[in-house]
Amino acid sequence: MSSSELKQPFQYEKIPFERLQTKKEKRAKNTAGTIKRLSMYLIEEKWKLLLVILMVLLSSTLGLLGPYLVGMAIDDFIVTKSADGLSSLIIVLLIIYASYSLAIFFQNYWMIGIAQNTVFTLRKQLFEQFHKLSIAFFDKRQQGELMSRVTNDIDNINNTLNQSVIQIFSSVITLIGTVTVMLILSPLLTGITMTIIPLLFLAMNWITKRTGPLYKLQQDDLGELNGFVEETISGQHIVKTFSQEDRVIREFKERNKQLQLSGFWAQTISGYIPKVMNTLNFLSFALIALFGGILAIKGYITVGVIVIFTEYARQFTRPLNELSNQFNILLSAVAGAERVFSVLDEEKEESDEASAQELSHIEGHFAFNHVSFSYDDTLVLKNINFEVQPGQTVAFVGHTGAGKTTIVNLISRFYNYNEGEILLDGFELKDIKRSSLRSQMAFVLQDTFLFHATVRENIRYGRLNATDKEVELAAKRANAHRFIERLPNGYDTILDQDGSSISQGQKQLLAIARAMISNPSILILDEATSTIDTITELKIQEGLKRLMKNRTSFVIAHRLNTIQQADVIVLLENGMIVEKGTHDELMKKQGNYYTLYSEHRNKEV
Amino acid sequence: MKTILSFLKPFKLSITIAYTLTFLELIADLLFPFFLGIMINEGIMKNNLNTIILWGSIMLAVTVITFIGGIINSYFSSHVSASFALNIREKLFTKIQHFTFEKLRLYPTSTLVTRFTNDVRQIQNTIFMALRIMVRAPLLVLGSIIMAFIVNFKLSMIFLITVPLLIAFIYWVLLKGSDMFNKVQESVDYVNRVLQENIAGMRIIKAFVRRDFENKRFTLSNNKLAEETQTAFRFVEASMPILLFVMNVSLVFILWIGNKQIIAGTTNVGDVVAIVNYALRTVMAISMFTFLALAFSRAKASSERIEKILNEPNAQEKDKNNNDQITDGKIEFNNITFTYPDQKTPILEDLSFSISPGESIALIGSTGSGKTSLFQLLPRLYEPDTGTIYIDDKPISTYPIVELRQSIGYVPQNPLLFSGTIADNIKFGKEEATKFEVEQAAKDAQIHETIISFPNKYNTIVGQRGVNLSGGQKQRLSIARALIRRPKILMFDDSTSALDLTTEAYLLNALQKYRCSMLLITQKISTAKRADRIILLDEGTVLAIGTHNKLLEESELYQKIVESQMEKELPYVK
Repeated sequence: MSSSELKQPFQYEKIPFERLQTKKEKRAKNTAGTIKRLSMYLIEEKWKLLLVILMVLLSSTLGLLGPYLVGMAIDDFIVTKSADGLSSLIIVLLIIYASYSLAIFFQNYWMIGIAQNTVFTLRKQLFEQFHKLSIAFFDKRQQGELMSRVTNDIDNINNTLNQSVIQIFSSVITLIGTVTVMLILSPLLTGITMTIIPLLFLAMNWITKRTGPLYKLQQDDLGELNGFVEETISGQHIVKTFSQEDRVIREFKERNKQLQLSGFWAQTISGYIPKVMNTLNFLSFALIALFGGILAIKGYITVGVIVIFTEYARQFTRPLNELSNQFNILLSAVAGAERVFSVLDEEKEESDEASAQELSHIEGHFAFNHVSFSYDDTLVLKNINFEVQPGQTVAFVGHTGAGKTTIVNLISRFYNYNEGEILLDGFELKDIKRSSLRSQMAFVLQDTFLFHATVRENIRYGRLNATDKEVELAAKRANAHRFIERLPNGYDTILDQDGSSISQGQKQLLAIARAMISNPSILILDEATSTIDTITELKIQEGLKRLMKNRTSFVIAHRLNTIQQADVIVLLENGMIVEKGTHDELMKKQGNYYTLYSEHRNKEV
Repeated sequence: MKTILSFLKPFKLSITIAYTLTFLELIADLLFPFFLGIMINEGIMKNNLNTIILWGSIMLAVTVITFIGGIINSYFSSHVSASFALNIREKLFTKIQHFTFEKLRLYPTSTLVTRFTNDVRQIQNTIFMALRIMVRAPLLVLGSIIMAFIVNFKLSMIFLITVPLLIAFIYWVLLKGSDMFNKVQESVDYVNRVLQENIAGMRIIKAFVRRDFENKRFTLSNNKLAEETQTAFRFVEASMPILLFVMNVSLVFILWIGNKQIIAGTTNVGDVVAIVNYALRTVMAISMFTFLALAFSRAKASSERIEKILNEPNAQEKDKNNNDQITDGKIEFNNITFTYPDQKTPILEDLSFSISPGESIALIGSTGSGKTSLFQLLPRLYEPDTGTIYIDDKPISTYPIVELRQSIGYVPQNPLLFSGTIADNIKFGKEEATKFEVEQAAKDAQIHETIISFPNKYNTIVGQRGVNLSGGQKQRLSIARALIRRPKILMFDDSTSALDLTTEAYLLNALQKYRCSMLLITQKISTAKRADRIILLDEGTVLAIGTHNKLLEESELYQKIVESQMEKELPYVK
């Protein structure tokens, strides 16, 4: 077993370099761009940043001054065995050390503040961006993967900002100081010490070319794992009832392994950096000793200079070491930042057209003129034409997948129609601000989504300033009041996010109450009552009828009652309108609707 | 941290190697000044060029060796930390997969996800760091202090006060810090939850134009996280200047005492210089301690969170070692009463009925009457309070849980699909299914035609919740997923609600040939009528049971339901 453990570290599958280097130039540009963009956030707080730099300068200087004074103290008071003036030097030393500690404290204190503000802003922007993106963006992505960007990637940036900025500044300051002193001592030996710089450059170039993309890969793999975990845990009831735990575990293992692999290489190769630095450190030491020795024999320099120089070479490589380490950490933050920025740069389909305006009151007159829509290159709706008068009810009928929900998505502008025009009260839909359009609409959708909050808060979501009385009234009208009363804490019962504490039908009742309370001009009911039993539905029906009165309503339903009472029935087939009219008109026509209807009727009676 | 640290056990050898290599590096570090000394004494002083070249070359050789050692070290350290994280994640996932349904409800998804990635990584980073730099700083401090005592015990007395003080201080910072980071991680959970809700419920949020409202909610949680992180970081990092100050003051103290003793003649110059030197080294090493304290308090907080899950008692679902198989699909519910764990009133009360093999039963009842709850008892997602469920005349608890669930085809109310292709999703029911089986299941579920109309057919990718499919399409896919198992018992939890009647009729026809017992929850009398018998459920009890005609005669409520549906259709029929 032990011999296999010895081999294990070398048996990781290699990640081909080519795979990492697909877009080399672009990547370098990206990295620089990302760093620049990230630093813009820091510059936001330039005064604080300036204070931090000042403090770093102060602490670096004091850090050097302290040992210098201690040396003086030894020369003056220990070697000479005198006590005159020792107390004043001690007081000076104490003051220096106190200010040194204070400077460090403040540099950290302020830097943490800056870093947290930056991270806060990033998270905020990302969140706001999510709300500006189109629904299509979310339809194509995994929840967990998106969440990973807000948490894991931003966390990465957070860690880096807390340490790196200070380290980089203090390293640069120390480096400048050391090189100056070295040059004064011996330009020749300084030159020899500097020979490690091209080597350092080569090595760092080799390493970072790999670690940059590897970090990115690692973050991607992490995101994917996150997505997988999120999905399987939220779908756990299916995993369990299908007793697929073992399989899910196996699939998890694959992704886990992938993350291990990219993590292994990212860490291994970035782990080269301190090793390379250490080696270069030794190398410069050896070179100074070797050449210094030869020079000393020839009488060009003294032994003292060699000793001092080896010390300074150490002083010289230490900040370099720090810098290259920080550079590496920075790369891992860049990988995170890139993923964050890529979401921030997603096209905001939600930004309203420049011509868009507020509509303070919507009458609810709708006209579809030659509207077509494609999704993922598939034509979903073809040349749709119909008109609705204010207060009318339109019912969409057709087989599943005929395009009923898509029309609703266009009306609410979750999706943008490609061709034709949709007019609302004579205005092109694209000329109306989305917020103004949607604030006068209420939705009861197929997938009932409730929040992890109390029943009351969930209903109130429809109108935030609704009173408790209004909430209860809406619940009563939606026929939800009775079951709410029977919940352990009534209206204050907290619902699970997946709503597993109440039944699906009860969830729909709450969604209807939520729509009722919002008092909209336009109502959209997409399978609103599909999981409600018919007796309850009958009771809600009255409420719904009341709700639909004087409001333009779009209804998708499979049960025929709502459909029959509609002012316009639109029969869809494969994305096209086949027939439209009232129930009676369509029945007289004895066309597709008639066939469909008779089929149903035969089955039901 | 004990449980977490036990994950390091399999890597004892690798850790030893990594530490040994780090140690060797340290030795090389200490050897170089020694080599230089020889070079100066033997070479420069004696004008011997060959000695200089010899020792110079030795130094170069040691450099090469440490380089190779360093690279190997990098491999071993990464191996430990990457595999360590792999194992923890795997153990966590397996553990969660074996949670009972009840237990799972205690943890919101978002907090579990955070533990998986964020918390594991926190620990992983610390382990990696510990392997590479941790030994150095403590060894340096320890060595310096020991050396100081050896050189001059009296002068070093100050360390006897400051060092225990510092150790106690660091320990306190660690404890306090990890509490703070625990809070930070909880805030991360909360941010995650708001975020998850926003992503999942984006449609509703947009529909109600609640961007500002949600923004406020998020800002609140975001603010809390930023503030807590800030406080935690500041607290731990503030410890460094304090440590430095204490060490520096003891340095000044040594100077002062040293001066006194020198004047009194009780000590010599060399000793004072040496001890001051060691004190300076300790000061240098201490700046590394903050770094370690920070990493450790974060890792400790994260470990506790992970351990909380790992230490949850195992589910009682012990696999029965018998080979009892479900062959017929006869089901009997016997005096079942069931209450959800967090509720007081039972949702099912003293429920009894039986289903003979191959029979189909429709469950009908008002919203919240207990239909879905009844369904969840059969695959043992929950256990009833009292009463027993029998399948093929044996209590379901006697079957191995896998066998029990294997023979059930479950179609949930909410047709959740997983990311992947359509074929993958159907095969979720039976992994080794052939292409033919997949297509057959799809055909029977009335979705084959739709699938082949997609450009990528069975390889079409469906999103996390299958959003690019319509509700009805998703329902039919989840039906196909159940059918492919060729189950003995088929359960439909109102899974045809989004299907139009024609499609539903075809589906029910296709199901005939599956020859299994079937339980189906429905709202539609037309669907219920096709079942052999109908059970009318009301407030958790069986109100009536029998054929459509029998119920029509006997049950008033059933009559009302039928009327409610007929009434809607009939007036328009001429």
